[in-house]
Amino acid sequence: MMIPATRRNVLLLTSALALGLVLVSLVALSLGSVPMGYGEVWAALRGSSERSDLAVIVREIRLPRVLLAILVGAALSTSGTALQALLRNPLAEPYVLGISSGAALGAIVALWIGGSIATMSPLAAFLGALATTAWVYLLGRRAGRLASYTLVLAGVVTASFLSAAILFVLTMLSTRDVRGMAFWLMGDLSVVTNTELRVLFPVVIVGFLFVYAFSKDLNVLLLGEEEAAHLGVNVVRAQTMIYLLASAMTGVAVALSGAIGYLGLLVPHLARMLVGNDHRTLLPVAALGGSIVLVLSDTLARTVVAPNELPVGAVTAVAGAPVFIYLLRRTAG
Amino acid sequence: MDSLCVKQSRGLAKITFVILILTAAAPAARSARLVTDQTGRRVEVPDRPARIVSLGPGITETLFLLGLGDRVVGVTDSCEYPPEAKLKPSVGSTLSPSIERIIVLKPDLVLGTPQANRRETADQLARLGIPLYGVTAGTVEGMLASTSELGHVLGHDAEAERVVHQLQARLDAISRRVAGRKPPRVLFVVWYRPLMTAGSQTFLSDVIRRAGGDPIGANLSGEWPRLSVEELLRLQPDVILFPETQSFAPKLDEFRSLAGWRDLRAVKEGRIYFISDTIVRSSPRLIDALEEIARLLHPEATPVEESGR
Repeated sequence: MMIPATRRNVLLLTSALALGLVLVSLVALSLGSVPMGYGEVWAALRGSSERSDLAVIVREIRLPRVLLAILVGAALSTSGTALQALLRNPLAEPYVLGISSGAALGAIVALWIGGSIATMSPLAAFLGALATTAWVYLLGRRAGRLASYTLVLAGVVTASFLSAAILFVLTMLSTRDVRGMAFWLMGDLSVVTNTELRVLFPVVIVGFLFVYAFSKDLNVLLLGEEEAAHLGVNVVRAQTMIYLLASAMTGVAVALSGAIGYLGLLVPHLARMLVGNDHRTLLPVAALGGSIVLVLSDTLARTVVAPNELPVGAVTAVAGAPVFIYLLRRTAG
Repeated sequence: MDSLCVKQSRGLAKITFVILILTAAAPAARSARLVTDQTGRRVEVPDRPARIVSLGPGITETLFLLGLGDRVVGVTDSCEYPPEAKLKPSVGSTLSPSIERIIVLKPDLVLGTPQANRRETADQLARLGIPLYGVTAGTVEGMLASTSELGHVLGHDAEAERVVHQLQARLDAISRRVAGRKPPRVLFVVWYRPLMTAGSQTFLSDVIRRAGGDPIGANLSGEWPRLSVEELLRLQPDVILFPETQSFAPKLDEFRSLAGWRDLRAVKEGRIYFISDTIVRSSPRLIDALEEIARLLHPEATPVEESGR
């Protein structure tokens, strides 16, 4: 299916998905280890709840978490969509390029040196993502431009090297830190501060808008770099910008939520099946779709074994891998 | 003279400041005080906490032992002792307790421990303004100190003193019994695949020393040193102890017949035992485990009337 990217279509699709996201978020706000009705959730959100404990749960526990899921889902999915087009590789996503492993190593080293996941690690994770991004970028450059296959291979090798380094540092950590780290490595949205949300929000919004500004270039880049250059696209500039934007968004998202796999791979592919390859419609659909999927996954993660929690990365991986294989078989056949 | 005045007024300001803080922080009805908990965090503890949530099995045991069971409003899934504790509402696992459940229980004090809980939980409670008092003990003596400190913080000094006094008496009795006897070299199996034991700085090594044993892990480096079977054969521990936890699916017989293991002197002589898993947590019941280990390590030193206990 290919939906023409008229302004009207984009607006319609975006509004429909945004409405879906609001509904899913309301469901997420009402579910948890303490059951609550929608009336109670609404009252808590408006600040007119009669029960202060429920108000605290909705406003200080569930709302930040849902917001984090929305932003992280959009960030990972947007990055995945852009990188897949940029590298003309369906497997490209922030994780394959080693960005998340770099973030994880940053976080774990901070923990090793003596921080806590809540305070020092997000910054260290971001720096780790940034360093990995730069490193893979340098490796992936050939004659002044990004060579897709070299970049993907450089990313894969860097990722596995970093994973080994993570395992090495894990053996040095004390038992207590290893436990906290294990949760983080499997993707964990349970802890977020308002300050962190205030950083994440502009990064994701501005990042998305910038990537969106390149959507026509992305469309042309799908044809090939030579062709894009002939059609008047500044290939080097577009590649560099998109790669850096995707990395920055991923870096911040991973720093705050750990490694949530498959989202950046699966949601863009689903979105493509739904609306086709025109990035003017694809990008907003993928971003909102990523938000919806992550809010749903996180809701599952914290309700199926309540009052205990599953790591959300485990939910996205367990659900994502079979769906991905199904898509793969379908497209291949 | 001038500087003295300044100093005085500064002191006065300080006092006023402290009073202001205390009055500002105290809820209208109850009074509270600022204390440093056992992990070094500053925490405001109400004078007589009435609704306590415990985030660790050892803490729950201690609370019930101090006669504070009726003030406990929430426990974790691992809190199985005493049996009454299982009747209390659970807030989930020690590693990821449900913050939502804790909020709904409206605790005026949460008790946690870095040995069982994650730092993230502590940070989250702090952000929500729910006071968390951290309990910790690195040694057997530390456990006693921690128990009496907890009793003091919770306003049950007399009970705590009585409990600690009894525990200390039992501890002294063990020390007297094992004094002067040659300590057997003990391998405490923390995990068997890979084989891990307790390092010198751990609680477990302290327990083994107090029970009259010589933990072989104490001479190895690291908090939880790993051992190869080869290394084990070289070290030849006199006694091997396993905690009686679900994790050790293979039974004692299987260990006895494992390659390498069957050539150990301790296995041949039958000095390989499962012991109560109360040893792995810091709680007053630890003394039970200590007595049990002392009996196993020094059977000849145990009075007859006690050996059947």
